Amino acid sequence: MSLTRNSFVVRTLVLLLLGLVALAGVVVTNVWLVQRTQDYVTEVTQLRRLRAAGVDLRSRLQDAETGQRGFLITDDADYLQPYDDALANLASYMDRLRQAAEVMPDLAPRIEQLAGVIDARLGELRQTVELARQGQRQAALEIVRTDHGKQLMDQARAILQEVVAEAEDKLGRLGVAQGESANALWWVSVVGGLIVVAITLAGLLTILSYLRQLAAARQEVEALNVNLEERVRERTAELGRANEEIQRFAYIVTHDLRAPLVNIMGFTAELEQGVATLQDFVARSGASETGADGDAARLAAQEDLPEALGFIRSSTRKMDGLINAILKLSREGRRVLKPERIDLQALLQNAVAAVAHQVSDAEGEVALDVQVPALVGDRLSLEQIVGNLLDNAVKYRRRDVPLRIKVRALARPGGLVNIAIEDNGRGIDAQDHERVFELFRRSGQQDQPGEGIGLAHVRAMARNLGGDIALNSTFGQGSVFTLILPARLRADTRSMAA
Amino acid sequence: MSENAKSVTIIMIEDDEGHARLIEKNIRRAGVNNEIVPFASGTEALAFLFGADGSGNASAGRSLLILLDLNLPDMTGIEILEKVKANPHTRRTPVVVLTTTDDAREIQRCYDLGANVYITKPVNYEGFANAIRQLGLFFSVMQVPETA
Repeated sequence: MSLTRNSFVVRTLVLLLLGLVALAGVVVTNVWLVQRTQDYVTEVTQLRRLRAAGVDLRSRLQDAETGQRGFLITDDADYLQPYDDALANLASYMDRLRQAAEVMPDLAPRIEQLAGVIDARLGELRQTVELARQGQRQAALEIVRTDHGKQLMDQARAILQEVVAEAEDKLGRLGVAQGESANALWWVSVVGGLIVVAITLAGLLTILSYLRQLAAARQEVEALNVNLEERVRERTAELGRANEEIQRFAYIVTHDLRAPLVNIMGFTAELEQGVATLQDFVARSGASETGADGDAARLAAQEDLPEALGFIRSSTRKMDGLINAILKLSREGRRVLKPERIDLQALLQNAVAAVAHQVSDAEGEVALDVQVPALVGDRLSLEQIVGNLLDNAVKYRRRDVPLRIKVRALARPGGLVNIAIEDNGRGIDAQDHERVFELFRRSGQQDQPGEGIGLAHVRAMARNLGGDIALNSTFGQGSVFTLILPARLRADTRSMAA
Repeated sequence: MSENAKSVTIIMIEDDEGHARLIEKNIRRAGVNNEIVPFASGTEALAFLFGADGSGNASAGRSLLILLDLNLPDMTGIEILEKVKANPHTRRTPVVVLTTTDDAREIQRCYDLGANVYITKPVNYEGFANAIRQLGLFFSVMQVPETA
């Protein structure tokens, strides 16, 4: 399984959200079910109270009847005790039943009926007990024998039985409902819990796989890092070899080119001597030789031969210069650099002093701004680079404005030093910005002597030092050459320079 | 070479015929009239120096001075130098290395092998002619031993 950073975040968020929803569902359902259970409990309590009230009332009625019967049989007032107690409390028992019955509004008519029956039954009891107290036991017994009281008592019993049965019935139903509710609570909790656990596991798996992926990626990076240094070393060595090969090639080519050139120049010199002898001879014997042959010989000796020799000479001299330039570059590449601590201020001041005479001739001035006190580099290379750039600034100035040169040295991040040489000279056309650094290539008006070697040499030296040179110039306004150098020249820089 | 000057033969081993001619002319201009025997390849030169059998007996009793270029078509001048300095008959023969190479290690190696003078051919002709003429002047005052 491959996870991108985004899909990991989305997946984790979705799982978290699902987990949250499941958890919220479980909590809401639980709260609702608990609330319902509380309602059941309240109802059950009320129903129990109703049942108890019904049973109590029945007991009291029986107490009253028991007391009456005992008194009527024995005529002993002691037996009236339960009757008196029941009579004193019956009203309150009746009230309790009424209140308790509010939980079942359906029973209200039966309760009122019961109240009427009880009242009638109590009236019959009171009547008989009163008669017996007054000594008319027979009359009281007569009333009992009418069975009116018994019937009333049966009615009351039946109604109370009904009330109690109703309450019990409802209690039973509530019990079932409560059981179902508890069951539902159990299921909701278990299922919800399972969902939360599943989502948590899925999230964990996602995180684990992502972590595993991260760990694998890190291992890969570490392995690559280990290899990287090795590869850099290999490449560096390859580059170094390629560089050496090019330099050897340049060196051999220039040497091999030079050998025939020495011949051409040598025999040109011999020819010149011969021509001189010939010229003397023609000049001396010229008068005696007349005619077309004599004129042609004179013309050849005096004009054609010297002209041809002149061209051969100038061409070989130029070729010699070019070969020497290549040789110089290849020598520069082979030169061993000597890293040493260089006081940049002093070095730049010396370089400026070297061109001071020409600058003052051009009514110019050089501003020096050195913010880097010192660097470790190869003094000779640095002197040559700066000298070359300053020479160019003087050489290619604009004649119509006073020459202004600014030399600045600044520290740059990454252990680099920038040395910028800015002039207000003729500038270099944008299309020639790369060309000027190439060997034997020049730019702009060709009114100054030169072979197109200086900047090529400067760039070769800058790169040898592990740095580079950049050009920023506007044609007709001036140029800024920026030399970028490492603040500390390393001893192995040579092999790094391509 | 003043007394026995006539007897000293200059062996010039140089593959570039133009250079050989220019060297000869400029040596002559310095007033050196010794015989100059030019060789354009190392094989020919070795055959002359050590004879057909390669023993070097051929050079016994000769007075030689060898002018040697290092870049030859069939072998390097270093090989020739080694052989000359290793052979009992030619080891005292002065060898002047005259070549275009100015590599410091090459120069060192030649002196290590017993070269007597190492001269780099100057790049331009004027310098070249001048150097050869001075070399000619040097030859005219130099003593060369007879080989064993």
